[in-house]
Amino acid sequence: MATDDPGNRRPSPLSLSSSFRQGLMSDQISEEQEAESQSHVVAVSLVDSTPLLWRMQDLRAVRGQGLVGALVGSLARVPRQNGRMGRPLQLLQEEQRLLGEQGAIAMATRKQVSEERRSLVFESFDSYRSYEEQTVLALEDKKSSLLRAMTTPTPHTESKHVALRGHLETLDHHFTFPRSGLAVQLSTARAGLTYCPEDRVYLQADRSPRGPVSPQSEAKYQVFRDLRGRGFYLTSAGKFGGDFLVYPGDPLRFHSHFIAICLSLDESMCLLDVLTVARLGSNVKKTVLLCSATPEGGVVYTSLQWSGMV
Amino acid sequence: MSESGDESEKKQPTNWIQQHPVYQGMKSLEVGDSAQIHAAFLVYMDLSEARHWNEVSYMKSPELEVVLLEGREIEGGPVQTVLPLPVHQNVNHRSLRRVLDRGFPLLLCAVGSDSTLVYQRMTDGLVTPDPPVGPFQDVDRRHQRKRRQQD
Repeated sequence: MATDDPGNRRPSPLSLSSSFRQGLMSDQISEEQEAESQSHVVAVSLVDSTPLLWRMQDLRAVRGQGLVGALVGSLARVPRQNGRMGRPLQLLQEEQRLLGEQGAIAMATRKQVSEERRSLVFESFDSYRSYEEQTVLALEDKKSSLLRAMTTPTPHTESKHVALRGHLETLDHHFTFPRSGLAVQLSTARAGLTYCPEDRVYLQADRSPRGPVSPQSEAKYQVFRDLRGRGFYLTSAGKFGGDFLVYPGDPLRFHSHFIAICLSLDESMCLLDVLTVARLGSNVKKTVLLCSATPEGGVVYTSLQWSGMV
Repeated sequence: MSESGDESEKKQPTNWIQQHPVYQGMKSLEVGDSAQIHAAFLVYMDLSEARHWNEVSYMKSPELEVVLLEGREIEGGPVQTVLPLPVHQNVNHRSLRRVLDRGFPLLLCAVGSDSTLVYQRMTDGLVTPDPPVGPFQDVDRRHQRKRRQQD
């Protein structure tokens, strides 16, 4: 689709949010788009072990499958806020694993990505203004700012003016432009974020989990998969002290109904902790769900609610 | 003389529990956890005397070593199971499932050291919470601005 070329498209924050919503709301995705999203292979960038999605078609495909993720990028035009975030979309470990099991995920292996990126960085490095040019420009900048400081009518004493003039005169000799101050332009459209079908040939789908899977994360994944299979949407529930927030539909349309807490059947919990989490749930009008994976492969759920008995 | 009078009065509050037939009945179940029996007794008294539940009875849970209570909140209503536990005790999900398997609605009661009682409802499955109560008013921009000025 022509509009999805990340090099050309520069969405403003407002249009991003409204078109984002329209594009991502599951009930507005037509049937053929949904079929397409199910067969779509999503390109994931890994930063350490954090899976990130950058391309709009990947975000749309993932949302079409009912996986929400979390936007963690800043928006170029409204940077100093976190009410509205932009791409990339960070996936939960469980979401990444679910996509991996469906074969719908492709990750560049670390060696390939770093080599590609290194060559691209050096390429763009030379194309932008070189170090020498930037040094000259920085020196000009410094001189003009010193001149401005000397000529502004502020209550400076004579000695200060003298000091500034002296500094200006010796500037040509003593000025050094640090390498860390160098401006480098990186073209993100090319920096390893586009995975065209030809590239995907040598990208391997990494199905092995990172490191040993702990029993807790295995239990969490079983609960995630079961609830997703029942049609719920799940996001992380750090704000509510649980493992997942369970929505009856798309989070853009509903409030969550449940705070899911995953534990093993034999894990002992202090009754005080049960009261804590139940109290929190009743304060925010959500049911606390204690979820455990059974050895037979299913999941049992126990709802914890306020009794109403004062 | 007054001291001995005080002493006998001081003994009275603790003794009445131990002399109570229900408490002694619970003890005879030989559950083995005196703290849990004490908690169960307090819940029994609360249900039967304070909340006026009907047909409150106690029994030993076969799988777990606890005293369970049963009763009807209103006359002719459904039987509910109450699990009384001291608040500092640990529970696991499996034991809660076992009590739920009895087939009655379950109330978990946490008994504090000052005999505060907190009842929580536990149900199998996913129970949608009650929606927030209306009427709902969308806050218009004037109110938002006013609120911001006040802050």
